[in-house]
Amino acid sequence: MSSTAKNPSIIRRSFRRTIFFIIAILAIGSTFEPYNQAQLAVVLIYFIGVLSVTILTGISGQISLGQGALMAVGGYTTALLMTNYSISLWIAVPASIVGAGIAGALLGIAAARLSGPYLAGTTLVIALAIPTIANRFMSVFKGDEGLPVDVGYPPSWFSNFFGEPTYEEWQLYVVLPFAAIALFFASNLLLSRTGRMWKSIRDHETAAALTGVNYSRQKVYVFIIASIFAGLAGALYGLRGLVGPSVYPVALSLTLLTAAVLGGIRSIFGAFIGTVIVVFLPDWIDLVLDNFELSEQVSNFMPALISSLLLILTVVINPAGVAGGSHLHKHK
Amino acid sequence: MDTFLAALFSGTSRGAIYALVALGLVIVWRGAGVVNFAQMGQAMFSTYIASTLIQNGNPYWVGFFVALFAGAALGALLDILVMRPLSNKKKTELLSSESMRAAIPVIASLGILGVLQALAGIIWAAEERGFPAPAAQEGFTVAGSVMPFTSFDVFVISIVLATLTMTTIFFKKTGVGLAMRATALNQEVARLSGIRTNFTRTLSWAISGAASSLAGLLITPTSNLSPNTLDLVLIIGFTAAVVGGLDSPAGAVLGGFILGLVISFVTFYLSPEDVFLSILAVLLIVLIVKPRGILGGKDSRRV
Amino acid sequence: MLTIENLTTSFGSVIALDGISMSAQESKITTVIGANGAGKSTLLRTISGLESPTSGSITWEGQSIVGRKPEDIVRAGIAHVPEGHAVISELSVEENINMGSLFRRRTHKSDVAASLEEMYQLFPRLQERRKQLAGTLSGGERQMLAISRALVSRPRLLLLDEPSLGLAPLVVEQIIDCVNTLCRSTGLTVLLVEQNANTALGVADHGVLLALGKVVADRPAAELKADSTLRAAYLGY
Ligand SMILES: Nc1ncnc2c1ncn2[C@@H]1O[C@H](COP(=O)(O)OP(=O)(O)O)[C@@H](O)[C@H]1O
Ligand SMILES: [Mg+2]
Repeated sequence: MSSTAKNPSIIRRSFRRTIFFIIAILAIGSTFEPYNQAQLAVVLIYFIGVLSVTILTGISGQISLGQGALMAVGGYTTALLMTNYSISLWIAVPASIVGAGIAGALLGIAAARLSGPYLAGTTLVIALAIPTIANRFMSVFKGDEGLPVDVGYPPSWFSNFFGEPTYEEWQLYVVLPFAAIALFFASNLLLSRTGRMWKSIRDHETAAALTGVNYSRQKVYVFIIASIFAGLAGALYGLRGLVGPSVYPVALSLTLLTAAVLGGIRSIFGAFIGTVIVVFLPDWIDLVLDNFELSEQVSNFMPALISSLLLILTVVINPAGVAGGSHLHKHK
Repeated sequence: MDTFLAALFSGTSRGAIYALVALGLVIVWRGAGVVNFAQMGQAMFSTYIASTLIQNGNPYWVGFFVALFAGAALGALLDILVMRPLSNKKKTELLSSESMRAAIPVIASLGILGVLQALAGIIWAAEERGFPAPAAQEGFTVAGSVMPFTSFDVFVISIVLATLTMTTIFFKKTGVGLAMRATALNQEVARLSGIRTNFTRTLSWAISGAASSLAGLLITPTSNLSPNTLDLVLIIGFTAAVVGGLDSPAGAVLGGFILGLVISFVTFYLSPEDVFLSILAVLLIVLIVKPRGILGGKDSRRV
Repeated sequence: MLTIENLTTSFGSVIALDGISMSAQESKITTVIGANGAGKSTLLRTISGLESPTSGSITWEGQSIVGRKPEDIVRAGIAHVPEGHAVISELSVEENINMGSLFRRRTHKSDVAASLEEMYQLFPRLQERRKQLAGTLSGGERQMLAISRALVSRPRLLLLDEPSLGLAPLVVEQIIDCVNTLCRSTGLTVLLVEQNANTALGVADHGVLLALGKVVADRPAAELKADSTLRAAYLGY
C-alpha cells in the first residue's frame, strides 16, 4: 500500500480529478431545485458505495451481493455514536469506517476461501442476516424502529458566509467532502501498484500466486478497503433521516451492483455514470410516462423493469458498461 | 416432546421444498455452469400462470402441468436470449478472466429476476393471492395432538425424493446427462467430442425451469403468491445448495433438509428473529470446514 | 484428403497463421513441426472449428469446412486431441471415452460398444482404471484417454496436438507407436503436431515446418529430417 505515496504523479492526477469533481458537483448542484439537490446527494452517497463494488468486483474480481450489510454497519456505528454520545457527525461518520473495516476484515477472512457463486451466495445471506441483528439486540439497535439521525443544521459561520442553505442543499454539502475524499482514495488506489497487483490477481490467479503474491491475504485487504467505502456510504445514507433495517435491505446491495455494472465495473467514471443512471432513472421514466395514459400498476413497475432490462442489455451487449470502452484503452 | 415433534415435522416439510429449489440450482450449475439467481422469479412467473388458469375455472392439474411446461419454456428462452449470447462473448477483454466469467452470469440472472418481477407486477398487480394445494392441509394427529404435518407435506416430500432420484439417474446414467455435465465442465472438450453444447445448455435451463416451477407450485399454498414472495425461498434454497455441495444433487437435497430443520428448530426454540443469523452461521461453518459443501467434490475446477 | 489453402487466422493484431497452404494425404501421417508460438496449435484449432480463419479455405473430402461448428466437424470425421491432455478431470475414465461417441449412440449403437472395447484393448491401463476420475490419472494415461475419446468418434482424420508434451520418453514412444500402428492398419489419416521434431519425423511420411505462422518447408519427412540447415535455423539443434 505504500506505493501510493511514492508516486507523486499518481497523486497529482487523482487530485486534479477530485478538484474537477467538486467543482462540477457544486456547479450542477447550484442549478438544481431542492428535490434534485437531495437526489444529487443520494448520487454522491451511492457513488461511494458503488466504488466499493468497483474495487471489489471490478478490480479484484470478487463478487459481493452484500455491500448493503456493510453499509448498515457503517450506518449503525455513526447513529449509535451520534445518539448515545452526542458526537458530531464530522467525527461520527469517519469513525464509521472503523466499524465497517473490522466487519470487512471478518468477512474477508471468511470470504478468502470462496469464489464465484459461493462468494455471491454467502454475501447475499450476509446482506439478509446482518440487518436482523437490529431486532436481536433491541435495546441497543432499537429494532425495526431504528435510530433517527440527520445532517442537522449548518453551523452559524457557514450561514453567515454562504447564506442560509436549504436542508437539501446542506445535505449535499455534508456529503460532498466525503465523496471527494472517497474519489481521491479510489483513484489513487486504482492507479497505484497495489491496484495493478489486484488486477493481476483477478486476471491470472495462478500466475499471481507464482510471482509470490499472497493471494488470500490480498483478498482480505481488498475486502477491508471495499468495506470502508461501503461503511462510509452507509453512514451518510443513514443521515438522510433514519438508520434501521428497512434502510439497508438486500435490494440496496443489488442496486449498488447494478449501478457498477451499468456504468462500467472497472472504472471510477463508470461507477459515477452508473450511479447517476440508477438514481435518476425513475424520475426520467416518470417524465416520459407522464405523456402516456398508463395505469398505476404499470407505471409503478416501469423503473424496475427498465433498469433490469438495461442491466441485462449491458451485460449481454457491452459487459464493459457505458464507460467501459474508453477506459480499457487508457489502462492497457 | 410435542414441540420437538412439531419442529421436526415442520422442518422436514419445509426442507423438502428448499431441497427442490436447491436441486433446480444444481441442475443449471452442473449443466450450464451458471448459478441462476432468477430461478425463483421464473417459478413465481409460472405459478402466476397456473393461478390465472385455475382462477378462470380450469382444474388444478391443468394449471399444474401448464406451469411446469411454462417453466421449462421460460428457462429455455432465458438461456437462448441472455445466457447464450453471453457465453459467446467469452473472448472480450472483460470476460477474459475466470473470476469475471463467474460474476457476469450472476449479474445477468439478477437482471432477469428484476425483469420477471416487474413484469409480474405489471401483468398481475402486486397484491398477494392464495394458491391451492392438491392435497389436504390438515395436520395429522400424533398421540392426541395435531402436528404441523399434513398429507400435502407427504405429497411434497415424495415429489422431492422422486425428483432427486430421477435427476441422479439422469445425470449419471443417460447420455444426455453426460453431455450436460461435460458441457458445464469443459465446453471446448465437449464440443470437440461432438456434443451440441448450445442445445445441452438450453436443456439444462429447461429442466431446471420445470423443477423450480414445481417448487413454486408446492410452496405457494403455504406462503401465498406475489412478485417477491419467493425471494427468500431462493436465498434459503441457494444456501441449501451451497451447504450440500453445488455439484451434487444429493447434496442439494441434504442441504435442503438441513436448512429446513435448522430454520424450524430455531423458530420453535429460539425466535423467528434469529433465523437468518442461524442460516448465516450454518453456511459459514460448512464453508469453512468444507468450502465445496458437504457432498461437494474437491476443488478440481481450477487448474 | 485435407487441403488447406492460404489460411490466415489472427487474434486481434497477432497473426497466428499467415497464409498457410498444405495438405494431409489420405492414410498417411503428416507432421507439423515448429518452435513454440509458430502457430501449430492454431492450425489444428482452425481446422477443427475452434477458431475461425480470417481468410483461406479448408477442404476435407471435397467439401469446405470453414465456418462449420466444431461439433459438426467431428461428425464429418475429423477428431481433434487438443494440447495438454485435454480430458475432463471430474468425469470417470469411461465417461470421458463415452463422451466421444455420444453423438453416434443412437445411429451406431453396437459399434459404440465395440469402439469402447477396442480402446480398452489398445490401452489396457484405461480399462483397469475405468471407474476412476480422469483427474487421478498420470500424464501418459490422460493422453491415452484423450486419444481414445477422439478415436471412438470413428474419425477418418486425427488431429494430434503435441501428444508428447510433458511425458517420459518411454511413454512418448508407446503413444507414437500406437498412432503409427493405427494409421498403418486402419488407414487413418493423421496430422501430428510436435515440437519434438525428431520423434515426429521418425514416424511421419511427410513433414511441414512452420515458423511465425508461415510454411517454411513442406517435404517428405525423411528429407526434412536429414536437412541439418533447416534444423539449425528453425528448431535450434
Ligand atoms: N487465444 C489466443 N489469443 C491471442 N493470441 C493467441 C491465442 N492463441 C494463440 N495465440 C498466439 O498465436 C501464436 C501462435 O500460437 P500457437 O498456435 O499456440 O503456437 P504453437 O502451438 O505453435 O506453440 C502465438 O503468438 C500466440 O501467442
Ligand atoms: Mg501449441
